[in-house]
Amino acid sequence: MLEIETLKLERDGQLLAYDFHVPEGQILAIQGRSGVGKSSLLNAIAGFLKPRSGSIRWQGHSLLALAVEQRPVSLLFQDTNLFEHLSVKDNLCLGFSDPPYEALWGAAEQLQIDQHLDKRPGELSGGQRQRIALIRTLLRPEPLVLLDEPFAELDPHTRKLATDWTRNTARTNGKTLLLVTHQADDVEKVADRRLELGLTA
Amino acid sequence: MQMKIAAWIALTSVVLMTALAFQGLFGLSSEGPDWALLDDPYFHRILLFSIKQALLSALLSVLLAWPIARALYYLPHLPGRRAFLGLCLLCFVMPTLVLITGLVALLGRSGLVTPLLDTITGERWNLYGLIGILLAHILLNMPFAVRVLYLQLQAIPDSSWRLAAQLKITGFERLKLIEWPSLSHTGLMLFGFIFILCFNSFAIVLTLGGGPRSTTLEVAIYQALKYDFNIPEALTLAWTQLLIAGGLFLLISRLGSPAWLSVDTACRENTPSARGVGKRLLLLTYGTAWLVLLLPILALLPGLLQDSLGRFDLTDLLRPTAISLGLGVIAALAGMALAYLTLQPVREAAIRGQRNRRVLLEWLAVHNLVAPAMVVSVGLFVFLLPLMDLDRWGMLWVALLNTAVVLPFAIQKLKPRLLQFDSQYHALARSLKLTRWALWRIEWPFLRPVFASTFALVLVLAMGDVAVFSIFGTQEWSTLPWLIYGYAGTYRIAEASLTSLLLLGLCALILWGVEYLQGREKVRPKKGRA
Repeated sequence: MLEIETLKLERDGQLLAYDFHVPEGQILAIQGRSGVGKSSLLNAIAGFLKPRSGSIRWQGHSLLALAVEQRPVSLLFQDTNLFEHLSVKDNLCLGFSDPPYEALWGAAEQLQIDQHLDKRPGELSGGQRQRIALIRTLLRPEPLVLLDEPFAELDPHTRKLATDWTRNTARTNGKTLLLVTHQADDVEKVADRRLELGLTA
Repeated sequence: MQMKIAAWIALTSVVLMTALAFQGLFGLSSEGPDWALLDDPYFHRILLFSIKQALLSALLSVLLAWPIARALYYLPHLPGRRAFLGLCLLCFVMPTLVLITGLVALLGRSGLVTPLLDTITGERWNLYGLIGILLAHILLNMPFAVRVLYLQLQAIPDSSWRLAAQLKITGFERLKLIEWPSLSHTGLMLFGFIFILCFNSFAIVLTLGGGPRSTTLEVAIYQALKYDFNIPEALTLAWTQLLIAGGLFLLISRLGSPAWLSVDTACRENTPSARGVGKRLLLLTYGTAWLVLLLPILALLPGLLQDSLGRFDLTDLLRPTAISLGLGVIAALAGMALAYLTLQPVREAAIRGQRNRRVLLEWLAVHNLVAPAMVVSVGLFVFLLPLMDLDRWGMLWVALLNTAVVLPFAIQKLKPRLLQFDSQYHALARSLKLTRWALWRIEWPFLRPVFASTFALVLVLAMGDVAVFSIFGTQEWSTLPWLIYGYAGTYRIAEASLTSLLLLGLCALILWGVEYLQGREKVRPKKGRA
């Protein structure tokens, strides 16, 4: 269980408040207007943003004292997810002590990006880059997965492929998944539950 | 953790070297600095001259570089553009003695162009003094300014030119609204940086100054130590130099540093091209720049035709060439390793947003740029003399001190690339929980092109050293610049020219070789994203 309790974050002089629980294995879609603090929340859980007060607990243990590297979290950023000077294949294999090659190549094939693995990220479209980062984030061993607008740049066809794959993979591997999205469609296809953030969430 | 320890050891060693040098001088004289000197007209004169020549050198270098950079930018089909940029780099790192030999062959008492200048000016032309110092400083630093300004112009977003074209902004407005804002900040920093280099200039002022009227602080320190062995005076002068140059450097560090000397590859579609009279003027500027930069080098060629060279045994140059290369490689490798290590705490402070800490650490790492080289060399010599046999270990110290001399240049070039890596990828790397080794394997290919060009640059710089060798070197281990110095000092201009050309050829080969290798492994061009 992920427990976010009376959590307060400060961003650009604005105080953001959060209070919710996510049971293990659940997929939660987080929505809300721009600037309401969706990405800040993910950054705080991953350890990139220090909260002003409150607690973040996973399986009963507080995450706040842990460094980014020690948290059981795999995060997909909204923008920079790939090293531009490395090949797509090299990027895909990062973040594993022992990369699960079969699963990685299989997912690449499923999401129709297997023919781009030898290229550099700069040669891919926005949607292709997003799918590469999505595969890596979800297949990493961490139990808690945070996705910041993972389907934003996808066309309807690949969007369906990606949402189906995300839900199935999260289910199969027992991941607890927090997904920030603006699309009601994504909520319907992927999430078990939806959380709407307001300025005083 | 080990990396952190290594980084702090590296930084401490760099600072310790200077501290020990000062300790060496303090140890010799119980009096400390002679503060009464501050009221002496002699001190005022050299201080004013140091500032005046540095100010003029920096101002003229930047002002003259501007139209050349514009020619490179606004004339997309210039013949020999790449070669010209290569020549600019070569001129900046050219061993000072090579330039001086070329300038003397061209404009000295019996120089190739001197009779013409005598006729034009109507009096006996004299290279020595402020004119000679300015000419040499401009020839060394103007090409550097050209590269920086050209790079900066290339950083103007293509969208700005598209918008300007759409709004029909032309001529002066374009200069005011687009070009000036993109250059003014860099121009100012460039001015400061060149000012520091010229303020601390030694070999040029010593050889072309022509007497006590044209003395700078650095040369005065040398004279105080070498001729009078007046340590209190040398210390006062050293502190003055350290405070002025160091203060200015701190100011520049706060402004940011120019991302200099990198090769730009951006493809541009909407950059306006010069036309009509403007185009002809820029072409003329470009042609003149080629001529001005090449002349001191070409002036070395007639020396090769002199009869005296017939008796010269070329194999005499083999050993000094090997020694110069060996010393250069050791100093460059050590300089690169030290630069990478000393930049670690700087990167950490930058990531944490600790601006003051970052500036301070950076200043400590590159303080050799502003610390008087003469004081550091002589101070260390005095400190080490009772501790070891310097006849035997002197060459080791030549390599070590040259490492310290090239370190600021290595740091200035590596820093922007490493900070760029951190700003782009630090969060991603942390989120991927990479080990130190895994991170290095990602960082290395990102760093490699800059690392290679920086290595070539500092290698060439170290190969040109005379100052450190003059104190720690021995005749038996003579380097090429030291040979040139010896030949020039005994008026063997033919031999000096030949050796200068050999050294220059080696430097050009190193710079060109690295650029060629980089060109071969250049990343494929990016395609547009769908």
